[in-house]
Amino acid sequence: MPLLPQRWRLLLVLLLVIGLPIATGLIWLLLTALFDRVHGLIPQGDFGSENWRFLWQGSVSGRPSIWVALLNSVMFAGAVAVIEVLVSAMAAYAISRMRFPLRSMYLRFALMLHAFPAISLIIAIFYILRILGLFDTLIGVILVKASLELPLGIWLMKGFFDHLSWEMEMAALVDGASRWTLFWRIALPLVRPGILALGTFALLSAWGEFILPFTLIVSGKSWTLALYLQSFMGESFIDFGLMAGVGLFYVLPVVLFFLLGQRYLLNIYSGGAKG
Amino acid sequence: MTGVTVRLEGLVKHFGRVQALKGIDLTLTPGELVAFLGPSGCGKTTTLLLIAGIYKATAGQIFFDDRRIDHLHPRDRDIGMVFQSYALYPHLTMFENIAFPLRLQRVPKAEVKRKVEQTAELLGISEQLLRRPALVSGGQQQRAALARALVKEPRVLLLDEPLSNLDALIRLSARAEIRRLQKELGITSILVTHDQSEALAMADRVAVFSVGEVEQFATPEELYKAPATTFVAGFVGFPPMNLFEGRFNGAFEAKGLKIPLSPGHPGGKGYLGIRPEDIRFDGEIAARVLLVEVLGKDSLLTLEAAGHILKAMSLEGMQVAIGDELLLNFPVEKLHLFDAEGKRIQRQAS
Amino acid sequence: MRRYAAPLLFLLPATILIVLFFLIPVVTTVFLSLTDISTVTFKNPSWVGLQNYRDLLVDPFIPKIFYNTGRYVGLTLLFNVGMGLVLALLTSLIPERHGDNFRTLWLVPRIMPPVVYVFVWQGLLARAPFGIISDLTGINQGWINSSPWTTIILANGFVGASFGMLIFTSAIRAIPRDLFYAAAVDGASTWQTVRRVVLPLLRWPILFVTVYQTLSLLTSFEYILLLTDGGPGLFKTTVWSLHAYKLALSNYFGNIEFGLGAAMATFLVVIGVIVSLVYMRVFNFRELVSEPKIEVN
Ligand SMILES: Nc1ncnc2c1ncn2[C@@H]1O[C@H](COP(=O)(O)OP(=O)(O)OP(=O)(O)O)[C@@H](O)[C@H]1O
Ligand SMILES: [Mg+2]
Repeated sequence: MPLLPQRWRLLLVLLLVIGLPIATGLIWLLLTALFDRVHGLIPQGDFGSENWRFLWQGSVSGRPSIWVALLNSVMFAGAVAVIEVLVSAMAAYAISRMRFPLRSMYLRFALMLHAFPAISLIIAIFYILRILGLFDTLIGVILVKASLELPLGIWLMKGFFDHLSWEMEMAALVDGASRWTLFWRIALPLVRPGILALGTFALLSAWGEFILPFTLIVSGKSWTLALYLQSFMGESFIDFGLMAGVGLFYVLPVVLFFLLGQRYLLNIYSGGAKG
Repeated sequence: MTGVTVRLEGLVKHFGRVQALKGIDLTLTPGELVAFLGPSGCGKTTTLLLIAGIYKATAGQIFFDDRRIDHLHPRDRDIGMVFQSYALYPHLTMFENIAFPLRLQRVPKAEVKRKVEQTAELLGISEQLLRRPALVSGGQQQRAALARALVKEPRVLLLDEPLSNLDALIRLSARAEIRRLQKELGITSILVTHDQSEALAMADRVAVFSVGEVEQFATPEELYKAPATTFVAGFVGFPPMNLFEGRFNGAFEAKGLKIPLSPGHPGGKGYLGIRPEDIRFDGEIAARVLLVEVLGKDSLLTLEAAGHILKAMSLEGMQVAIGDELLLNFPVEKLHLFDAEGKRIQRQAS
Repeated sequence: MRRYAAPLLFLLPATILIVLFFLIPVVTTVFLSLTDISTVTFKNPSWVGLQNYRDLLVDPFIPKIFYNTGRYVGLTLLFNVGMGLVLALLTSLIPERHGDNFRTLWLVPRIMPPVVYVFVWQGLLARAPFGIISDLTGINQGWINSSPWTTIILANGFVGASFGMLIFTSAIRAIPRDLFYAAAVDGASTWQTVRRVVLPLLRWPILFVTVYQTLSLLTSFEYILLLTDGGPGLFKTTVWSLHAYKLALSNYFGNIEFGLGAAMATFLVVIGVIVSLVYMRVFNFRELVSEPKIEVN
């Protein structure tokens, strides 16, 4: 707003105060993970490695190795992002740039799904994965996760394709391209900002995903980091230090994605990606 | 010669309720450069895109030589096209832009390099090949677009206002260059423009479009000397021809004006036209000077005669000032007569 | 048909996935709700018509769960929209650079993996020495257990507020500057400008955020599941969607009552479909569907 109230510093302080819990939480996580013992936010013990034993102990009380979970998380997030971006981009390209019957219906339908709360379908999805034989497989959860975010992806990518120049596409056709070639060699490279935005969003969203793997995966060998960390939660004795270590380990890539993709992300979150 | 005959038969194109083309019939001879001239929105680009295969005709047919091509995909028509915005691919270098059509044909690498460099050389953009389009000048972009259209040696070249985004000086040299290349390569070409001087200067023949129709298809000279309709008469030539609406009645009568004609004209309503440069100042039609625009050697006069506003060119050495009274002469052999529909009435043998 | 081969090809993957994981599930949810499918009868369920719905009607815990749901959605919504508005206004009133930083800070809870996020809450609310609240208040207790509702609403709220914040911020940015200058010339104070110029213009965004978040709060249960798992005690913080989930998918009382869970989920699905239909209606659709300028595929 182009009005800077005279006492804006007061507002700044107010913002600091209401934002304090978030900052505190982050600091707490960091300190608890790094020191052997903390009291509140005050480190008591030494700079500790005990909290990080999950990294070299093959297995913490019967759990699969963290490295297996890490690999699964990387595969899960990576595959979801690739599938989500490609499938959305293809559909969005057709909707934005091609003529076919029921085009506008398809568009309406995608918009409707965008508002639809997909998580309410989880019971049926469980059942369907069982029937398809994809229950308790990483590939099954990957497909579900990517699919549930398709409406968002299609909408986002359509917005980007809408801005491509028609003359440029016409030129490519006259130059001898098919629509398929045109898509891969001209259109897709030119909506790079969209791909990065959706890709970053999908990576972050899949990296953090909990309910889907929790519901659709049982065996330890397919655990993702979310399941790994959550498995400590129900225990009668909670080892906060260890969990903080795992949590920090799990969060670090998020920080990286976020810093890299931040400027692409704001659009998506304000487009209503997650309640 | 690579040129083909291009024949358009009864091309009709509707966009929903908009009738963009009402029926176009044209035949281009091999190697010819034809200009499509007309005001904005009259369907020039639409016609080009139908030939290119981007649009599908509502009715009508398109032939290259004697082969019907309107059912073919654009890539199978063997056309080169330059768009008004140039439509270069911004993420590719100039080299890759020009090479794109060849890459799609899976031409061997060495061959691509040779052809691209040769074409770039021809158009004088060899130095810019490694840059992205956004980093070179408008003129160079325009050449790259032309190079991309020419590199695959198309049978037909379509140019949609290729010069309209260039500044005036470059535009003049680009005109000459396109003309030279086109003649050298002998490709049947269509140039869309709404700049009549461009059309008249470059084209072998000009098709003048009014809304969705071709009004006249003729050489520039013919367009000027014998415009087929009042639309063409008013559109071609600068300053435009003076047109009066009235009746033929032995002479031509229009509200307060009576202009003598050579005998033998039919009666009825119609139009009479005379070019400003054909008006002489030794007659009986009284007119008053409203405005004098100096155009260099001579001046353009805006006159008022019996309530009609008309334009005339001053003669060399003539001194005219605003408010002067002149006596105009419309020489009979310079008059253009049109019937009530605006169609030219062929002058009887004189 | 060949004419449409290309768009068909482009749409095929998305269509398959959408049919598989949206359309079929909607039908399946309704279908399952009409059977007695459970752990025992998973392989060959039988048709029971509306029996599951009748069971729900007489279930003594349903009123409690219904009340919980209303409370959860209502209070969280209030926090989300209110805080979203406060944040959007405050961050817009201070210099751009600071505003951006605070908005980024508020995105952190949204971007954190939910499990880590919840773990941090658990830590902060734990007994000393880890729990800060225990330290600060001097009352050493497990705060999640003693105030489960407050925890749930705050934890959800800190994630949800950023949604409203971003939408309202862009709405505020879209307000023509002239309006602010005009207000300033008229001698309006900042507060008056906010009340008389900004808030009225935020009516539609507020409505949008409210509707959108109502729907997602109704159906989401992730944070509750992780924080309290519906407890402590019997159904203390169990909401509709969580109950449906647990009936169908988690070993609560041994036997998984898939059909009953599906019956509960059907309500959510139906609400979802209705709201999406309305959303689609209200949305300004015209400008989104201009005809493609290329007529060949
Ligand atoms: N894709 C389209 N959809 C709908 N109407 C169109 C489309 N393309 C052209 N038109 C309409 O058809 C008519 C002819 O347009 P066209 O672009 O061919 O004109 P033009 O002669 O090239 O004009 P300009 O000199 O402005 O380029 C116009 O009324 C235009 O609005
Ligand atoms: Mg045009």
